[in-house]
Amino acid sequence: MNDAELRQKLLSVHPPDELQAERRSWNVVRAAWETREAYPAERRLSPLLAAASAAAALVVLALTPVGSAVGGWIKDTVVGRPDARPALDSLPAPGSLLVSSAQGVWVVRADGSKRRLGDYRQASWSPRGLFVAATVGHQLAALEPDGDVRWTVTRPQVVSDARWMPGTGFRVAYRAGRSLRVVGGDGEGDRLLAPSVAPVAPAWQPIENHALAYVDRAGRIRLVGADDRRERWRTGRARPALGLEWSRDGKWLLAWSPNLIRRYASGGQLVTAIRVPKRRYEVLGATFKPGTRMIAYTVLEKTTGKSSVFVYKRNSIERFSGLGRFTKLTWSPDRKWLLLSWPSADQWVFLEIPGGVRRIDAVGGITAEFYPGTGVGAFPLVEGWCCAG
Amino acid sequence: MDLVAAVPSYSRMGMAGFRRGERPSIRRARSGSVPDVEQLFREHWPRAYRAAYLVVHDAAAAEDIAQEAFLAAVRSLERFDARRPFAPWLHRIVVNRAIDWTRSRSLRRELGGDLVGEQPASSADRTAPVSDEVVRALATLSPEHRAVVVLRFLLEYTPGEIAGVLELPRGTVNSRLRRALDALKDSFEEEQA
Repeated sequence: MNDAELRQKLLSVHPPDELQAERRSWNVVRAAWETREAYPAERRLSPLLAAASAAAALVVLALTPVGSAVGGWIKDTVVGRPDARPALDSLPAPGSLLVSSAQGVWVVRADGSKRRLGDYRQASWSPRGLFVAATVGHQLAALEPDGDVRWTVTRPQVVSDARWMPGTGFRVAYRAGRSLRVVGGDGEGDRLLAPSVAPVAPAWQPIENHALAYVDRAGRIRLVGADDRRERWRTGRARPALGLEWSRDGKWLLAWSPNLIRRYASGGQLVTAIRVPKRRYEVLGATFKPGTRMIAYTVLEKTTGKSSVFVYKRNSIERFSGLGRFTKLTWSPDRKWLLLSWPSADQWVFLEIPGGVRRIDAVGGITAEFYPGTGVGAFPLVEGWCCAG
Repeated sequence: MDLVAAVPSYSRMGMAGFRRGERPSIRRARSGSVPDVEQLFREHWPRAYRAAYLVVHDAAAAEDIAQEAFLAAVRSLERFDARRPFAPWLHRIVVNRAIDWTRSRSLRRELGGDLVGEQPASSADRTAPVSDEVVRALATLSPEHRAVVVLRFLLEYTPGEIAGVLELPRGTVNSRLRRALDALKDSFEEEQA
């Protein structure tokens, strides 16, 4: 064999999945390149931008279509809304909130009435709000909204992040220690799906394919079939996302981490990457605007301690800002209101969104609502808002 | 027959041509042209991916390695000196990462086996059966020896250029090439026998 023959042999080796690998990688590289221009490195910020509200400016400049407007309710130096209702006497939209605090899991009805479901740490709604999957310690429990226990599963590891499959609700995925498991909606057939996953809640693709997205320990996002365990696709290694969410039509997957928001097509192609300079800013959360592939997200400017929420309208981005961290974005079931958790103000802020932010309905004294007796504790976490009608 | 000396230099045969065509492309890419970035990617991806695969023998890992190399290149494109060829810069990243990956996999095995969850779930699907005689023969070499073979015969660098890419003395490159070729020759003869 001479050199030319050896070279020919090397050239004749075709790695499996060569074209798909090229396609996937070009999508990633293109997205990285396109966002590079949108988010220049911090050292390259002009003094003007740096002096101004830089986080907002960067994000808005990057995402606002040419000629569009940035409007909204900017209260940069205010902690809390002064016009907030003093108590949670009602919700501005139909449906029920699921809330967790150190004193347990609660259901809040639209009329403001609350019911404590039990001493659980986390919870999530079933697709039609008929049940709640709740976790505490080593136990996963399926509850009725009045707190009655339908079934439980106990594992040797600590369980968390239970998520009910959309549509039929035939499966519940949850984390047990480092692993990801799936159990039937009737509590039967508990089994391992992935042995080592990152501490991030999995996300069911909301179409009838029984596929679940999760983040592995290397930071890859993987989409796997819950029944056949077959991997549909996976991304490359990355810093693990802190949150995953599918759009309601199952066509887009959102993944966010402190400095990066990514949107993938259902086939795993990266289509959007919003990068935030990490020394100054931190992404606190992101969510799809219901019924769209647009993203609402919240960013903390570290130097000022100010958080901003950005929500797309048709030709602009609405912004709501305030001092402190905004911890959670939750859409109402009718898709008209965005609930913003504002722990430093001890408030929930409801933003009416369609066609732009029209009204703001803030409620104060949230902590006391979920710590009866003492009124003191960690700020409650909104786990979900379900279901209209 | 001198296998080492017989193959022409990549820089003489290929890179000079690349350089002339590449310079304006890199300049346009820097100014934000996506088509020019794509041209660079399409031009260099097949060799980068194949080189990584021939060192690591795992398609998923090779994809990650080549992809990360391109991402690193894209992030640094503005600092890149357009008078220099793009390929050696990229290949340096690819081959060194591929060697590191193979070494770390070997180390995990020595320490008691790979962690199941840290393996790509699909790696079994996407790692081809080692049916090709070249891949089987390469598998008998260490990652360092595979790397010099790939750099020399797939990417067509001279031993001097390989020494630069791997930051090794030229003598070491030559001895690795010689040993690797002897081992490959033995493997091919066994195959034929």
